[in-house]
Amino acid sequence: MTTTQNPSEAVDLFVSPLGRVEGDLDVRVTVEDGVVTSAWTEAAMFRGFEIILKGKDPQAGLIVTPRVCGICGGSHLYKACYALDTAWSTHVPPNATLVRNIAQACETLQSIPRYFYALFAVDLVNKNYASSPMYDEAVRRFAPYVGTSYQKGVVLSGKPVEVYAIFGGQWPHSSFMVPGGVMCAPNLSDVTRATAILQHWKDAWLEGEWLGCSVERWLEVKSWEDMLAWVDENDSQRNSDCGFFIRYCLDVGLDQYGAGVGNYFSTGTYFEPSLYENPTIDTRNDALIGRSGVYADGTWHAFDHLRVSEDVTHSFYRGDRPLHPWEGETVPVDPKDGREQGKYSWAKSPRYDVPDLGRIPLEAGPLARRVAAGGPGAAAHQDDDPLFVDMINTIGPSVFTRQMARMHEAPKYFQWTMKWLSEIDLQESFYSKPVEHTSGKGFGSTEAARGALSDWIVIEDGKIENYQIVTPTAWNIGPRDSEETLGPIEQALVGTPIVDMTDPVELGHVARSFDSCLVCTVHAYDGKTGRELSQFVINGMV
Amino acid sequence: MSSVLWFQAGACSGNTMSFLNADEPNVVDLIVDFGLEILWHPSLGMELGDNAKKIFTDCVSGEKPLDIFVLEGTVIQGPDGSGRMDMFADRPMIEWVTELCDAASIVVAIGDCACWGGIPAMEPNPSDSTGLQFHKRERGGFLGPDWRSKSGLPVVNIPGCPAHPDWITQILVALATGRAGDIALDDLHRPQTFFKTFTQTGCTRVQFFEYKQSTTSFGEGTRTGCLFYEFGCRGPMTHSPCNRILWNRQSSKTRAGMPCLGCTEPEFPFFDLAKDTVFKTQKISGTIPKEVPEGADHITYMAHAAAARIAAPQWSKEDMFVV
Repeated sequence: MTTTQNPSEAVDLFVSPLGRVEGDLDVRVTVEDGVVTSAWTEAAMFRGFEIILKGKDPQAGLIVTPRVCGICGGSHLYKACYALDTAWSTHVPPNATLVRNIAQACETLQSIPRYFYALFAVDLVNKNYASSPMYDEAVRRFAPYVGTSYQKGVVLSGKPVEVYAIFGGQWPHSSFMVPGGVMCAPNLSDVTRATAILQHWKDAWLEGEWLGCSVERWLEVKSWEDMLAWVDENDSQRNSDCGFFIRYCLDVGLDQYGAGVGNYFSTGTYFEPSLYENPTIDTRNDALIGRSGVYADGTWHAFDHLRVSEDVTHSFYRGDRPLHPWEGETVPVDPKDGREQGKYSWAKSPRYDVPDLGRIPLEAGPLARRVAAGGPGAAAHQDDDPLFVDMINTIGPSVFTRQMARMHEAPKYFQWTMKWLSEIDLQESFYSKPVEHTSGKGFGSTEAARGALSDWIVIEDGKIENYQIVTPTAWNIGPRDSEETLGPIEQALVGTPIVDMTDPVELGHVARSFDSCLVCTVHAYDGKTGRELSQFVINGMV
Repeated sequence: MSSVLWFQAGACSGNTMSFLNADEPNVVDLIVDFGLEILWHPSLGMELGDNAKKIFTDCVSGEKPLDIFVLEGTVIQGPDGSGRMDMFADRPMIEWVTELCDAASIVVAIGDCACWGGIPAMEPNPSDSTGLQFHKRERGGFLGPDWRSKSGLPVVNIPGCPAHPDWITQILVALATGRAGDIALDDLHRPQTFFKTFTQTGCTRVQFFEYKQSTTSFGEGTRTGCLFYEFGCRGPMTHSPCNRILWNRQSSKTRAGMPCLGCTEPEFPFFDLAKDTVFKTQKISGTIPKEVPEGADHITYMAHAAAARIAAPQWSKEDMFVV
């Protein structure tokens, strides 16, 4: 390994592997003058779930799709169920909608601290930051296994999914949501215990460790100015993990790079029970609590699933044009042959046809949700939150902004979940048996912790004729398209400064800020001689 | 101190996520208090760069003793046996798996995928996935039926989709504390201490099973009855401790009203999820369950069922899990 590097030289970094939801992900970047100038993201593993689902029972997706990703398995179940609800025109009792909302939210409440401490924050103790006056404190808190905050955060992250298990039997990998409702019928102590577990989690981690204040106080933060004032309001907030994280990010410059494409995509999640008793695709946007929406070039657009397509120009699949997922195809080619045709990833490239802008890549994830939440026209039951639109307009998107968007959802979703728990009517129904129509088309979607996650199903002769799954990881790590337009993480990597070529932790920050379940090894090659310069591994997501 | 190297091949990370839910010991306990040395794990490994790859190659060469190699996920052999559908650190994952299995004292397959191929290996198996030492119920898999680790053991299978964290942590602790000799394996290489019992053992619905009283619908219908008769529950035919060692310390699928899918058995997902098999009991002549509890036959089952229905007390026909 060579550690010296002439900063004026162009260098290729090959990052292998970097992915964990749909397998490993490799990233190749070109570095010039110490700054990333281009990037290629390569999903390195293929299992073929869409091929497996073809010809199976219509409900097979309830069992199979959670296994696409055990990190977001509950989210896979949630949207697979709504794909069937819309295809079969079911009736879903309000109680069932509440239980689905609670379970989906609890998966996300688990993911937030687990991801933050086990994956993201461990990079904050990288030796590259040793010159920061706050470094010793970062190590004390975030050092893996022994850090005071690491231990609490990782261990307590299991609490919210205890609530999932009360309703769904277990987490990960339950299939308890079914068309027409849920399989469970909770009793009194199920609801009281769930409430108590979440209260404990709030006291022990959310308020006790993370915020240093009440959930209600944090949710008064509506702008970047408010957030800075919140930090300085008192020692408890200033020295909480959140207060410390904000100060540390500004100190080491995590607010300075990783902006991404600046255009966002959210399909929204959580339904207002009374507005979605008969789930249809057309009424979906209005029934959402966490809003959907597309934000591109500074303009908000209503989400329309018909504008989604997948391009396979640079993916290891056959196909010559972008296809809407109902018409989607999954025909793999040998990567050896694919590479000769310029293909480099097992991920397809999801694109959205934005009015007046055409098919463009959009960032999915918590920041995209927060931007949707700041858009105009919120109904009374919908999330209406200007904080991150303000942050994007004042300090811009970055690794830091994306992280804060994710963390902001912990208090918000906690509050929603407690409300939903209180609204369950134990005397009422949790399931309406559906008619299992032998043909139909469905669309189901949700927001997994790491972004928009959707299924499109076509049923014929009582079997699955076509099933296409578009994950947030595909939205974010998808490769170039037929126009050679970079995918969101590819774009976000461009412009990233690399201080130490032998330990380019900055690439890890950018990749991990998308939380695309990444494990990566970085190989650095001299751009001129092809000689390997360095290699490192960025550990995967949880 | 035992050294552990944990890799993910054709995996969804479900077993890792399950592992991170562990308590007594939790993950931090295992490492900090218990002295388990996790050499590297995709989500928990700390070594970066050349240090990480050096760990892998040092394990292969024997320079670094590797006590336990854990594999999560299927062994992806496609296309055409090349393994190019799963590349890891510049090589097909199958090459790492081959070398690390041979280097380790003990090899543990975690979850159905690594044990027998799991969901990716179901028909039509687009990635040519298989398990380490089984392909579904057939012996062999990737390593072959006669393969043994350095310690003389076959691959230890901890199945489930996912495996429960206790099934993982307690076996790791047993191996780490010199109790390998107490781990008796069944004919599918599963630790008997967990997999001798049935999923039904400890199920809160077992009284309804006793009197042949069926749940009639999902949702509020699951306030009573057993899920075996109509909803395809495989609890009486599946070996697991799901109702002895509860999930997330709270519940189990069958307790929550969800039929057992049989995910600790090699055939999972059963019937390849063909039309009309999902959450539906397969029957003969529309009434008799095609599969009866392990060890029973249809004649004795029907005789027992007829007598049980006659004996069924009134409470067994009413809601039990009430508000």
